[in-house]
Amino acid sequence: MAERWSPFSYIVTNLARFVRPHEVTFSGVNSALPMLACLLAKRAYDFDFTYINVAGGVDPEPSSVPLSSSDPVLAEKSASIFANEDFYDLCTRGRMDLCFLGAAQVDGRGRTNVSAIGDWHAPKVRLPGGGGGAVMLPTARRACTWRTEHSTRTMVQTLDFVTASGGDARGGMHGVVTPIAVFVNDGTRLVLDSWHPDVTLDDVIARTGFAVDASGAKPTPPPTDRERAALRAIDPDGAFERDTTIRS
Amino acid sequence: MTADFVSLPDLAARISDGDALALGGSFLHRGPFALVRELIRQGRTDLEIIKQSPGYDIDALCRAGRVAKARCGIVAMEGNFGLAPWYRKAIENKATELEEHACASLTAGLRAAAFGVPFQPIGGLDGSALPDLNGWKRIEDPYGSGRGAYVIPAITPDFAVVHTPEVSPNGDVRVLGTPHWDRIMTRAAKKVLVVAERVEPLETFQERPEMTLVPHFMVDAVAVVPHGAWPGSCHPDYAIDYPAVERYLTDTDEAFAAHLAEAPETREEAVRG
Repeated sequence: MAERWSPFSYIVTNLARFVRPHEVTFSGVNSALPMLACLLAKRAYDFDFTYINVAGGVDPEPSSVPLSSSDPVLAEKSASIFANEDFYDLCTRGRMDLCFLGAAQVDGRGRTNVSAIGDWHAPKVRLPGGGGGAVMLPTARRACTWRTEHSTRTMVQTLDFVTASGGDARGGMHGVVTPIAVFVNDGTRLVLDSWHPDVTLDDVIARTGFAVDASGAKPTPPPTDRERAALRAIDPDGAFERDTTIRS
Repeated sequence: MTADFVSLPDLAARISDGDALALGGSFLHRGPFALVRELIRQGRTDLEIIKQSPGYDIDALCRAGRVAKARCGIVAMEGNFGLAPWYRKAIENKATELEEHACASLTAGLRAAAFGVPFQPIGGLDGSALPDLNGWKRIEDPYGSGRGAYVIPAITPDFAVVHTPEVSPNGDVRVLGTPHWDRIMTRAAKKVLVVAERVEPLETFQERPEMTLVPHFMVDAVAVVPHGAWPGSCHPDYAIDYPAVERYLTDTDEAFAAHLAEAPETREEAVRG
């Protein structure tokens, strides 16, 4: 069982696998899972990368892992405060390598809705809003998102509202992680990169609202010893795992 | 010109019905929450709330029915509490009008006001439905690069209200840790109000002037309210009081009244000027 995935470890670890050497990676507000992914990548991978976050931290060494992904703890041992205006401007001038951005609905082009379920002007559910998305998704070199539910209401054919889009020229959604699948953008749309070994490919296709190209997909490689150890170290008593409502 | 030092009720009394307030901090961190609660107690209403990432503050004001308009980027309780429930209801039943922004477009509007120009170009927004929703224009580079940019109209709050750990006796504001969006808010607003944990000696400000976020001449008035950012955090003094946030989220009028009554500013020593 040790090398098997839990839905929680699947999302956090596969988000961490998007982090690349020598890049600048950002995690923001309302983003506990990407925060954990960045902290996991720092522990599990041998390469160097710059982790910046919405608390102003630059390669911080937090003494504990906070429930709030904007907690001041995330700036502990940081040698500078790189504040909100700084990281937005870094992104819009094209120097942000990887951004983690939240989404309620994702479509096959990697566009996101974080605004409303139903008509924006008469919403069934008013959602939080996109925060960074509309500006960061088209300007970051790569952006990734995650969903804790993989279904035709989260992975949709048609968004209820386009909060953020990749635009046409550059940027856009590079990767999406759900409890059962990892999608990567092939330049024009999201294609299936890998799927959770405990579900079938047919399951993934049936639970996705947009057409799934699985031609290059394979089962997701299991977590490595170092990835599992890193996740245990940052969530030692499983508090985050219990706190995260995941529909797998 | 030094800032006035006043009681929290007197600070709140400087704000009128219908005013536009930029609130400092982010989600549950270093927000001017004592002032927000005092506005509720004093019955202030028809407020416009301007903040990139409000949560508890706008939710409490919506719960009391005091928000006419919200200009925001992302609204949530955060820290695993999810959506801000009374804000959500206020938008869904149209009690509050929403001008939905990206955090950076709200910042661009504040920058326009701070720079003294009518609008501010901004990167990104390509493909988003927000420009159409808000009537934001895209202009071509008048210098001929062939690149264009959306431009956001100026956003000028009547007040920026920020919470800070430290002020000088003159009203200089020293924030520790991230300033969130407080810097641009204080430059964009017509007036600045400050809630501070404590007064520190002027010499400590003179020794490290680069640590001061807002100089005293820009500050209209200060109220000293220890623990005033409760139930949120104020770095480095205290962290989020999660049980208090849970009590706040209990869906009864009694729970809300009890929450307002247990706030630190209701203690006698906190309301002195």
